[in-house]
Amino acid sequence: MIRSCLYILLISGFVIGAGTLMPPLVGTATAITAEEMLADPLLETRARNLSQKLRCLVCQNQSIDDSDADLAKDLRREVRTQLVQGKTDEAILSDLRAKYGDFVLLAPPMAKNTMALWLAPIGFLLLGIGITLGIRRRATVPAPSPISHADRAQIEALKQNHKTASKPDQP
Amino acid sequence: MSRFRPTFFIPLIAFLGLAIIGGLALQGTLSGSRNPNQLPSVLIGKPAPDVPLPLLQDSQAELALDAYRGQPLLVNFFASWCAPCRAEAPALEHLSNQISIIGIAYKDRPQDTQKFLQQYGNPFVAIGRDDDGRAGMAWGVYGVPETYLIDPSGQIKWRHAGPLTRDVITSQLMQKLAEMQ
Repeated sequence: MIRSCLYILLISGFVIGAGTLMPPLVGTATAITAEEMLADPLLETRARNLSQKLRCLVCQNQSIDDSDADLAKDLRREVRTQLVQGKTDEAILSDLRAKYGDFVLLAPPMAKNTMALWLAPIGFLLLGIGITLGIRRRATVPAPSPISHADRAQIEALKQNHKTASKPDQP
Repeated sequence: MSRFRPTFFIPLIAFLGLAIIGGLALQGTLSGSRNPNQLPSVLIGKPAPDVPLPLLQDSQAELALDAYRGQPLLVNFFASWCAPCRAEAPALEHLSNQISIIGIAYKDRPQDTQKFLQQYGNPFVAIGRDDDGRAGMAWGVYGVPETYLIDPSGQIKWRHAGPLTRDVITSQLMQKLAEMQ
């Protein structure tokens, strides 16, 4: 019972840990239209890359690259306008962060208020490892099986029997 | 159980921890102090963005928010194509008796905006045109209607995304306004 509880904790620790370390299954669908694209393929690649990191604020779990929403379209256009102006990727992301907040980034940034979010999977993983090691170490030491009162009584009875049965043979 | 085993309590402690977090979140939601649907604006406490916009009535002239310094100001992003904007029109009309309201027509055609104002009333002291939504982006607007409260020094003090309801006005806006005076 306790052991199964601990295993559930351990497994959930692994699942959470693996989920954060593995790359998400990114959909290939995209909402971008031909006239939005930039002529310069290098800038366009950067624009697509940035678009995949930015959240569409009205659909919330889609990137602006995936979303057909009007606001996503505006944000894609804004990203491209700023790229053409010669801004760096970081400058564009921080500009949009200043307007919409951290929420506009699909990956939450490492900050004081997101530390728990980032470190919890590692914590769970360590907890799981600790629990497994604890269980395994305990399992290698076999516990002595206690003799119950009933057992003891039976042993005594057998001893008595043996004595009485063997008496006549004894000189 | 003859021996004290601390590992026995791990699931219990984990459950209690989750229950406490969930309980606090639920309490916040029920009391209204926490609303997961409202994104907090990062512009609170910052000066209102200064994006030049043509006026609806006269596209040669520009909307100047600076001209309204020295008094609290509401800035309302609206559009004729937005149904909740129609719903909040009476609330804005009512509020216009107490505070100056600037309207910003978000991604709207001027003739549609005019028609909207004729039909639902015009509570605004001035109306700017944000044809391509660029000003909205500078303000962090992610949908209309959205309303911002600006203090006399030109700082954003409060933002509400969605229509202004009686509840929002009395429980939030009026409080913020009272703090200012």
